Amino acid sequence: MKLKHSLFTRRQFLNGLLGGWLGAFAASFLYPVLKFIFPPTREPEEVILPFVDFQDMEPNTVKIFAWGSKPGILKRNDDRSYTAFVAVCTHLDCNVTYLPDQRKFYCACHEGWYDENGVHTAGPPPRPLRRLSLSIEGENLVIKREGVE
Amino acid sequence: MKEKNVKKDIRSWLDERSGLSAVFRFLREKKIPQHKHSIWYYTGSAILLFFGIQVITGFMLVFYYNPTLEEANSSVARIMTEVPLGWIIRSVHSWSASFMIVFVFIHLLSIWITKGYRKPRELTWMSGVFLLVLSLLFGFTGYLLPWDDLSLSATKVGTDIPRSIPVVGVWVTKFLRGGEDVTGDTLTRFFGFHVCILPIFLLALLAVHVYLIQKQGMSLPLDLERKEEKVKELPFWPNFVYREMIVWLVLVGVLFTVSVFFPPSLDKAADLMAPAPEGIKPEWYFLFLFQMLKIFPAKILFMNGDTLAVLLILLGGTAFFFLPLIDNKPAERKGKMTTVIAYLFIIYAVGMSVWSLL
Amino acid sequence: MTAKKKLIALFVLIVFLHSFVLFKINFAQQVEQEKTGTIQEEASEKIVPGPQGIKESTGLYVFIAWLWLAILVLVYVLRLKIKEEDRLLEMRFLSEKKK
Repeated sequence: MKLKHSLFTRRQFLNGLLGGWLGAFAASFLYPVLKFIFPPTREPEEVILPFVDFQDMEPNTVKIFAWGSKPGILKRNDDRSYTAFVAVCTHLDCNVTYLPDQRKFYCACHEGWYDENGVHTAGPPPRPLRRLSLSIEGENLVIKREGVE
Repeated sequence: MKEKNVKKDIRSWLDERSGLSAVFRFLREKKIPQHKHSIWYYTGSAILLFFGIQVITGFMLVFYYNPTLEEANSSVARIMTEVPLGWIIRSVHSWSASFMIVFVFIHLLSIWITKGYRKPRELTWMSGVFLLVLSLLFGFTGYLLPWDDLSLSATKVGTDIPRSIPVVGVWVTKFLRGGEDVTGDTLTRFFGFHVCILPIFLLALLAVHVYLIQKQGMSLPLDLERKEEKVKELPFWPNFVYREMIVWLVLVGVLFTVSVFFPPSLDKAADLMAPAPEGIKPEWYFLFLFQMLKIFPAKILFMNGDTLAVLLILLGGTAFFFLPLIDNKPAERKGKMTTVIAYLFIIYAVGMSVWSLL
Repeated sequence: MTAKKKLIALFVLIVFLHSFVLFKINFAQQVEQEKTGTIQEEASEKIVPGPQGIKESTGLYVFIAWLWLAILVLVYVLRLKIKEEDRLLEMRFLSEKKK
C-alpha cells in the first residue's frame, strides 16, 4: 500500500534513529550498573549446625542461630520435636523474641504477637513467621529453606 | 501534532520560571573556530567525560568500600569477587583515572603550544593548573585505598617527599599522613580527601574554568588571530556537539574494552611492619618526578639532594603557573622560547618516565 | 583529508589501540598464571579478576561486540546528522550573504 505523504520527515527519521540508538546504548550500560547496585540476596540455601548444641534443649525453650544475616529461632516443642523459624517480624522486619511464659513470639517494635506455632494473632503483622524445614542427619542439624529439596 | 504541543508547553512553562532558554540560545550562538589545530578543542570535554565516569563508578564503589585499616583490602576483594560485575566497575574506575590524566596532559600541552593562555585567558590557565594538581591528588589519594603493599609503599614515599621542603615540609607530611607515619588514619584521611574534599574543590574550580571559557569564547592560535580574514566557525549546538559525541562514543568504547581485558588485580592487605616490597613505583603520571628524585645525589654542596630536587620541582611548578604572565610577548623571541620549552618538557617527562621503568 | 581517508584513519587507530587485544586474547586471569612471581604463595594470594566460567566470558564478548556495533551505527547516524546540519548552516550563511 503506497502512502501519499510520508509518515515523518527525513529530519524526524534521522532524529528518531539517533535518539533510539543512543537510548539503546545507554540502556545497555544500565544492566551491569543495576546488577552491581542490587546484589543478589544473601540468604543461604541451608545451614548446618552441630546437633549436640541443641539436643539438650528443654521443651518450650528457644535458641537463636544464624540464618545468613538474619536471626533464626529454633524452638523445642512440648512433644520434644523441633521447629525452626526465621526470627524476623513479617510487619517491618524487626527481630522477634519468644516469651515462654506466654507461649508467644513477640515483636517489640509495634507490639506484634504470634502464637507458639508462629501464627500471627495480634498487632500489625500480616503473615505468620516464616518456617524453615529441618532434619537431623547424623551429627548435624540441617536447616533448609522451606520447599527446597 | 498533539505531542509537539505538549513538549512546547512544558518547555515554555519551565522557561517562564527559570529563563533556561537563554542558556540554549547561548549554546546555539557559541562558535567554535575551525582550523588545522581545531582537533585540540576536543580534549577539554574528553577530560570532563572521564571525570563524569569517575564520579559514577566512584558512587558505585563507595557503596561497598570500607575505608578502615581492617576492612579496606577485604572490601575491595569483596567488590572484585562477590559483588556482581564489581571487578569491571573497579577496572573502569582505575582505567578512567589514567585516561583522564592522559587527556589532562594533552589538553595542557595543546594550550601551552598554541599559547591559548594569552591575554585575556590568564585566569583560565591558572585555574587549569589548580585543576591539574587536583587531578593528580585524586590519583594519589585513590591509589592508597585498596591498601595493599604496593600502594602503602608508594604512599609512604610520596608523603615523605614534601618533608624535604624547608620550614613547612614536616607539617605538609603530617597533614597528609594524619601523623608522623602512614597508618590507618592516613587511609581514612585519604578517603576523606578522595570522595569529599577534593571533589568539592574540583567542582568549584571547574565552574570558574568553564565560566571563563564561555565568557571569553574559544581561543585562536596566534598566527590565525593576526590574519585579516575571518576564520570559519561552527555553532557549538548542534554542529560541534554532534562531532563531540562521536569522540565521546569512541572513547567510551575504548575505555570499556580496555577495562574488560586488562582489569587491575589486588594484592593481599598491606602489612605495616613488613619491609618494602620489590619494585615499588608510583602511578605512571608521577614516574618522571620519581625518577628526578632518584637521580639527585644525597648531598649537593651544602644542600640535601632531595631538598634541592623538590625545590626545583616547586620552582618549575610556579613558573608553570605564571606562564601567561612570563610569556607576555608571545609573538616574539620569548614566546618562541616558551614553545621550545614545551617540547623539551615532553621529551624530558617521557624520557625520565621510561628511564624509571628500566 | 577526504572523508574516506579520515574514516580509514579512524578505523586504523581503533585497530591499533586494540592490537594488544588481538595478540593476547586471554583474559587477565590466564595471563597472570603465566607470569610466575618470585614467591609462589604471594602469587596465589593475589586476586586476579575476570569473568568466571564460559557463560560470563561469552556474555562479555557479546556485550563488547554489541557495544562496538552500537558505536559504529551511532557514528554513522551522527555523521549523517553532521552533514545535514552543516548543509543547513551553509544555506543560512549564503542567504545572509545575499542580504
